[in-house]
Amino acid sequence: MSKKSFLFVVALLVIASMALTACQPGAPATEAPVVETEAPVVEVQETEVVETAEPTPPPTTRHGGWADEVVFTVVDSASAVTQIQAGAIDIYGSGLSSDKLPEIQAAGLNYSKQNGLYYELTFNPVGPEFPATGKLNPFSSAKVREAMNWLIDRQYLNQEIYAGGALLKWFTITTQFPDYADLADVVKALENKYAYNPEKANEVITAEMEAMGATLVDGKWTYKDEPVTIILLIRNDSDGTRVPIGDYVANQLESIGFTTDRQYKKSSEASPIWVNGNPDDGLFHIYTGAWSATVIDRDQGDNFQFFYCPESAYGFSALWQAKGVGQNPEFNELADKLAYNKFTSLEERRAAFARALELSMEDSNPVWLIDGKNFAPWREGIEVSYDLAAGVDGSYIWPFTLRIAGEEGGTITWGTPDILVDPWNPLAGTNWAFDNQVIRATTSTGILPDPHTGLYWPLRIESGAVYAKEGLPIGKTLDWVTLEFVPENVVPEDAWVDWDAVNQKWITVGEKYPEGTTALIKSVAVYPADLWETVKWHDGSPVTMADFVYTLIMGFDPAKPESAIYDEAIAANLDAVNANIKGIKFTSTDPLTVEFYTDTYALDAEINVTTLWPTLTYGEAPWQTMTAAALAEAAGELAFSADKSEANEVEWTSFIAGPSLEIMTKYLDQAAAESYIPYAPTMSAYITPEEAAARYASAKAFFEKYGHYWIGTGPYILNSVNTTEKIVTIVNNPDYPDLSDKWNMFGEPKVAEVALDGEAQAVLGTDFVFDVAVTFKGEPYAAKDIKEVKVMVYDATGLIVYTGLADLVEDGKYTATIPADKTAAFEAGASKVEVAVVPLIVSIPTFADLEFVTVK
Amino acid sequence: METVSEPIVTSKPKVKKNSSSSAFQRIFRYSFVRLITLFVTVVIGVYLTIMIANMGGYVDTIMKAEIRERITISVANNQAYKNMPKDQLNELILERIQLEEKRMGLDRPLVIRSVNFLKNAMTLNLGRAVNMNSDAGSRQVRLIILERLPYTLLLMGTSNLILFFSAMFLALALSRNYGSIWDKIVIALTPTSSAPAWFYGIFFILIFAAVLRILPFGGVMDAPIPETFIARALSVLKHLILPASALIISTFFLSIYNWRTFFLINSSEDYVDTAKAKGLQGRDIERRYILRPTLPYIITNFALMLIGIWTGAIVTETVFQWPGLGRTIFKAIGLYDTPVIVGTTIIYAYLLAITVFLLDFVYALVDPRVKIGGGK
Repeated sequence: MSKKSFLFVVALLVIASMALTACQPGAPATEAPVVETEAPVVEVQETEVVETAEPTPPPTTRHGGWADEVVFTVVDSASAVTQIQAGAIDIYGSGLSSDKLPEIQAAGLNYSKQNGLYYELTFNPVGPEFPATGKLNPFSSAKVREAMNWLIDRQYLNQEIYAGGALLKWFTITTQFPDYADLADVVKALENKYAYNPEKANEVITAEMEAMGATLVDGKWTYKDEPVTIILLIRNDSDGTRVPIGDYVANQLESIGFTTDRQYKKSSEASPIWVNGNPDDGLFHIYTGAWSATVIDRDQGDNFQFFYCPESAYGFSALWQAKGVGQNPEFNELADKLAYNKFTSLEERRAAFARALELSMEDSNPVWLIDGKNFAPWREGIEVSYDLAAGVDGSYIWPFTLRIAGEEGGTITWGTPDILVDPWNPLAGTNWAFDNQVIRATTSTGILPDPHTGLYWPLRIESGAVYAKEGLPIGKTLDWVTLEFVPENVVPEDAWVDWDAVNQKWITVGEKYPEGTTALIKSVAVYPADLWETVKWHDGSPVTMADFVYTLIMGFDPAKPESAIYDEAIAANLDAVNANIKGIKFTSTDPLTVEFYTDTYALDAEINVTTLWPTLTYGEAPWQTMTAAALAEAAGELAFSADKSEANEVEWTSFIAGPSLEIMTKYLDQAAAESYIPYAPTMSAYITPEEAAARYASAKAFFEKYGHYWIGTGPYILNSVNTTEKIVTIVNNPDYPDLSDKWNMFGEPKVAEVALDGEAQAVLGTDFVFDVAVTFKGEPYAAKDIKEVKVMVYDATGLIVYTGLADLVEDGKYTATIPADKTAAFEAGASKVEVAVVPLIVSIPTFADLEFVTVK
Repeated sequence: METVSEPIVTSKPKVKKNSSSSAFQRIFRYSFVRLITLFVTVVIGVYLTIMIANMGGYVDTIMKAEIRERITISVANNQAYKNMPKDQLNELILERIQLEEKRMGLDRPLVIRSVNFLKNAMTLNLGRAVNMNSDAGSRQVRLIILERLPYTLLLMGTSNLILFFSAMFLALALSRNYGSIWDKIVIALTPTSSAPAWFYGIFFILIFAAVLRILPFGGVMDAPIPETFIARALSVLKHLILPASALIISTFFLSIYNWRTFFLINSSEDYVDTAKAKGLQGRDIERRYILRPTLPYIITNFALMLIGIWTGAIVTETVFQWPGLGRTIFKAIGLYDTPVIVGTTIIYAYLLAITVFLLDFVYALVDPRVKIGGGK
C-alpha cells in the first residue's frame, strides 16, 4: 500500500470512529427500562426524595431567599445533566423527559418528579362509513374503541418508551392526583377490568367488525373488497415519543388484521386534519394526542366534558361535534354536572364521578395511555422543594426553598431552556414558563399554592373565611380558613362591582343592582396587622392601600372603551373574569380586611378565599411604575398587550429591557414633575402629592441602580437582565417580611410508605385481618395527616369483591378487617388484598398489596 | 506584466477604442442595465421567498388551526376561567381567536399581504415581526436583526476570516511543495470536512467543557456576567474559541485542498513555466504570476465569504447556544414569521446584488483584461 493510500485509509478510519462514537446513545434503549423494572415508580421517587432534601436547617434570622444570588442561564436540555456534572450549573429547573432518567440517576443527581405530557389516542368517530369516501371506519363503534384499551399494553409503552419513569393512564383524570386518590377503589377496579388483554380485544373487535359488514380475508380485514386501512396521524415533533407510540399502536392493529397507513406529521401539519378538518372526509382514524397539566388540579370533573363532549371548549371542532353523535346521554349529562359542580354534596359528586369514569371507558374517545413524568435535576449539595405537578421551575415554592445545603447565602446557577422570551409587564406581558420562573421569585401573592396538594396557604394574608350558600359541595382541610354555610350572601350596597372609566369612580352594587343582589360565595381575607410596616417594594416604598386600589382599577379600566388605555385584547379576558365578581368591599384598612362576593366556586374552601394583592395577571408592580407605562400607552407610545402594540405599531411594553425603558422613563419624569396622581377622582383619597413625588423618585432611583422597572415585593430582586446573552440575575431581598425558613415544611413530599402483613391463607366465612403499616422515612405517619386507608380485595376471579376502610390503631398502624359475612361469598383460590393510603398533606396516594390464598 | 497580458488579450474579443466620454456612456449604460437586471432578480427572489415562506397560502390554514388550539388550551388551562359558564367561556375563546387572527393579518388574503411584504422589503422598511421579539422585547424586525448582528459577525467573521486566509496561504505553500508529506497529510485529512461544524462542536464540548472543563459549554458570556469591560471581553473570547474552532476545522482541510488544487492548476500555466525558465524567484512567481492573475477569483471568493457571514450557522449556533442570526432565521422559519424571513432575505439579496455589481468593477480594476461593458 502506498503512503498516499495508507493516509487516506487512516483518515477514513478517524472519521468512521468519530461518527460511530457520536452516534452511540448514552444508554441503549433496551437496557434503560431494566433499571426501572426493578424499581417501581413510587419507590423510585421515595428513594430519591429521601436523599434529595433534608430540610432541617437551624433557626435563621435571614429574610427573603436562602441564596444571595441566583443566576439564570440558557442551557440546552440535551446537555443539562453533563453541565451539572461538570459544575457549569447547579440545577436545571426545567423537567427532562423520562428517557433522561437513567442518565440522571447514573450521574447521582437529585431530581424532582413532576407532571410531563400525558398521552392519548383520539379517534375519528364518524361512520360506520365515511361520507366522503364510503370506507369503513371501525372506530365509529364505541365497542371497538373500548377494545383498544385491551389491545394496548401500557406497561410496555412505559418501559420501552419512557424508561419506566411514567405512570400508566386509563382515565382523563391525572393518575395519583386528588380525584384519583379519592376514587382509588373505583379506578383500581376499572384498571383491572381494562388491563392488557389482546385476546379479548381481538374477540370484541372481530364481533364488531363482522357486525359492520367487514370480513377477514387471509388474516386481513376487508370491507367491500378493499382492505380496511387505518390512517394514523403520528406526531413526530414535541418530545418525539409519539412516534414509537404510534408505531406500537399500528403494529398492534396489524396484528389483528388491519392494514395501517402511518402518517408522521408535526403539529402544524396534523392540526388542519384532525382538529380543524372535517372528520367526514376520513383523512384520519387515529391521532396521537398529548396534553399537559402543570397544576395540581383538585377538581378534574370538567375533564369529561372537555375531552369527550361536544359542549367542550373544543366544541368549535367538527371532530368534537362528531364525538357527541350517538354518545350515551347519561355520560353527557354527568359530564355537564361534573363540569359545573351541580351537586348538593361531595358524596353525590363522588358517585357521579365514579359513574362518569366507567362511562368514559365505554366511550373511549380518547383512549388514555400514559401520564408522563418529567425530572428536573440538581447537584448534590443543593436543596429545593418542587410542585408535584409543576416541578421546580413552574412552582411557587422554589424561591423560598432553593438553597445551598446547610448554608445561608451563596450563588446558585440555574440552567433553563430559554428565558426572556417576551416582554415583561404585569398587565399583559410574558406568559412563558421560562420567564415566570423568575417572575415568581420577585413577586408576592396573597396565597401560596401547596406544592404537594394544590390547596392554598396564606402567604401575605393571615386568615380567611368562606360563607357558602347552603347546599354547595364545598369542604375544607386547613386551619387558616373557616367555612360556614349560610342561607344566602347579600352583597352590601356600598361594595364595588364595576368601574366608571369616564368619571374614574367605582360603581357600587347599590348603583348597579338597585334591587340588591346575592352571591353564592362570600369570602373574607384578613391581612396581618403589621402589613403596612413590614411589606416594602424593592425600591424601598412601603406597600399602601393605593397599591391595592390601583391594582383593582387596572382590573377594570383597560376593558372600558372610554378608558385612555382601553385594549380590546385585554378586555376580553377582564370582562370574562369581572363578570363573575358580585362585589368587593374593604371592610377595614387596619388590619386590612377584604370581602369578596362571587357566584363561582371551587370544592375547597381554601381555594374559595379571594385575596387581593398588587399583582396583576402577569406580575406585580407598584402604582408608580404602572402609571408611567399607562401614561405612555395613553400617549400612543407603548402598549401593554402584544395585540395593541401590533395594531398601533408601537413597542410592547417591557419593564425590563428594550426601547420601552426610555419611554417609561420619560413619562415617569413627567409624572414626577407634576406629582401626578393617576385616576385622581378615586386615587386622591389614597395618595397625597408628596407621596406621589416620593414614589416616582424611588422608582427612578431604582431604575438608575438596576436598569429596569421590575419592582416587586418578592423574596428576590431582579438584579440584572442581559437580553442577548440570555442571562438573568436575581439577588436576595433582605427586607422581605418573612424569614427564609418559613416554608421549610415543604422540604419534601411526604409520600407514604406502606407495608401489608397478614396470614398467607384465609378460610372463607371467617374474618380476614391484615395489618397495615404506614410510615415515612421509617417513622410512623401521623394519623391526622391521613385522610383514609382504603381496602380492596380481589378474589380468585380477579374482580374486586370488597371495598372498605381500614381502622386506625395508632399513628402509622391500621387494621384492615374483611368481615366474615363478606368473605363467605368470595371465590376460593389465589386472592389479593390491596390498600390505598390517601394522605391529606400530599396528593399522591400509596398503594400496596398482598397475595394470599382463600380456602373453604 | 506584459508577458501575462499578451496571451489573454488575444483571447478576448477586439474592442474598438473609444473616447473618455463614450467610455463613460458605456459604463453608465452597463451599470444601468446591470442594476435593473439585479433589481428584477432581487424582486423575483424576494417574492418567491414570501410565497415559499407562506407555502403558497397554506400557512394561513396552519396558523389559523394553531391559533384555535393555542387559545382554546390556554383558556381551558387558566384556573381563573375554570368555573366560568360554558357560553361565556366559548364566547371568550371565539373573541380571542378573532383578535389573534386579526393581529396576525390572517383576516386579509395572502395576495394582498404578499404585495405589502414585497413593497416593504424592497424599500427596506423591515416592519414588525408577527410572532418573534428581539431579545430586548421589540417586535421591530430591524432590532431583531441588529441585536444578533454583533455576535454573528464576531463568530462568523472570526472563523471565516481565519479560515479564508489560513487556508489560502497554507494552500499556496503546499502547492509549492507538491507531493511533500504535508501535502499528503492534508489530502488525507480532506475527508474530515464531510462532517459538519456542529459535529465537531459536540466533540469539542465533550472534550474541552465536559471532560477537561477548561472551556465553557456554550453561550457568549460567563454567568453571572463579569463586571468590567476587559473581563467581559475576555469572557466572550473564551466562549468564542469552541464554536469558531468547530466552524474552522470543519472545512479547514477541504478549503486548503481546494485552494491548493486551484493554485496548482494556475502554477502549471505556460507563462508560469516561462517565468520559472527565466530563473525568477519562487516568491516573485507566486506573487506576480500566480496570485495576480487569480486575483479576481480570490476577491470573488472573499466577497462571497463576507456576505455569507450574514446567514450565520444555524446548527452550530444552536449547539453552542450562540445568539446569532442563524438561530433567528431558523426560529422565524419555524414560526412562519414572514417579516423576519423576508427581512433577513432582503438584506442578503441586496448584499449579494451589490457585491455582484461591484465585483464587475473590481475585476476591471485588478485585471487589465477586463473592461466594464466590454462585451457590447
